[in-house]
Amino acid sequence: MPDAFHVSMSPRLSELRDLSRMVEEFGDSQGLPEPTVFVINLALDELITNAVTHGFTGVPDPRIDIGLRVDGQTLLLTIEDNGHPFDPTADSRPDLDSPLEEREIGGLGLHLVKTFASRIDYRYADGRNCLTVEHDLQVDSGAVAG
Amino acid sequence: MNIEVATEREDKTLVLLPVGRLDSANARSFEQIVMEQISSGEQSLIVDFSRLTFISSSGMRVLLIAAKRLQATKGKLVLCEMKEHIEEVFRISGFDQIIPIKSSRGEASQTV
Repeated sequence: MPDAFHVSMSPRLSELRDLSRMVEEFGDSQGLPEPTVFVINLALDELITNAVTHGFTGVPDPRIDIGLRVDGQTLLLTIEDNGHPFDPTADSRPDLDSPLEEREIGGLGLHLVKTFASRIDYRYADGRNCLTVEHDLQVDSGAVAG
Repeated sequence: MNIEVATEREDKTLVLLPVGRLDSANARSFEQIVMEQISSGEQSLIVDFSRLTFISSSGMRVLLIAAKRLQATKGKLVLCEMKEHIEEVFRISGFDQIIPIKSSRGEASQTV
């Protein structure tokens, strides 16, 4: 398998399963450690769920394009869609400290994506949300004992 | 989309073993299964992660709801057998401070 793949999908949660399988196959072909593949699939689940839930009301022919590429020691994930403008990097910090009875879950998914990524870049151009999420493979492989 | 959840019983404790992925596509199915068990009177729950390969915040949300619900009736939820990278997600989320996470099923049984 080449060191990059690209897939275009409808914004439906049911598509996540096939997508995760493709990411796993790509990870195997590139020799990526299991925790790295997990983190990429986590980012895809969180970001695509966000887009599907909030982004496409009234949009004709809604599409999400996903790219994954290894560039040296960096794994680059790109997610582009033609939904309404939404900047996930602007989301505020979720509730991580309250006791159980007061704990809220909102914003947790994006917090996880940001925590695991080495860099996130968002821009809105030509009617498309364009998100790039970078993972440093050296950091990942150093952090994964097992 | 439905999730497969195996169940086992240890005295008064019900052990749930979700299989495969617990993601935003099947979190509602998992929520329904867990809440039905709590509604039917289960007070002591272990969720064993040994057969789970993936979880996202949608699945974690269900565990949070279950833990809150059980706490309100003096029940208890304990998690166990997580892979290291999944446990890291729970730590980053601060969930390890509000829901007990044990490395083994045996430890979970003693805690619940």
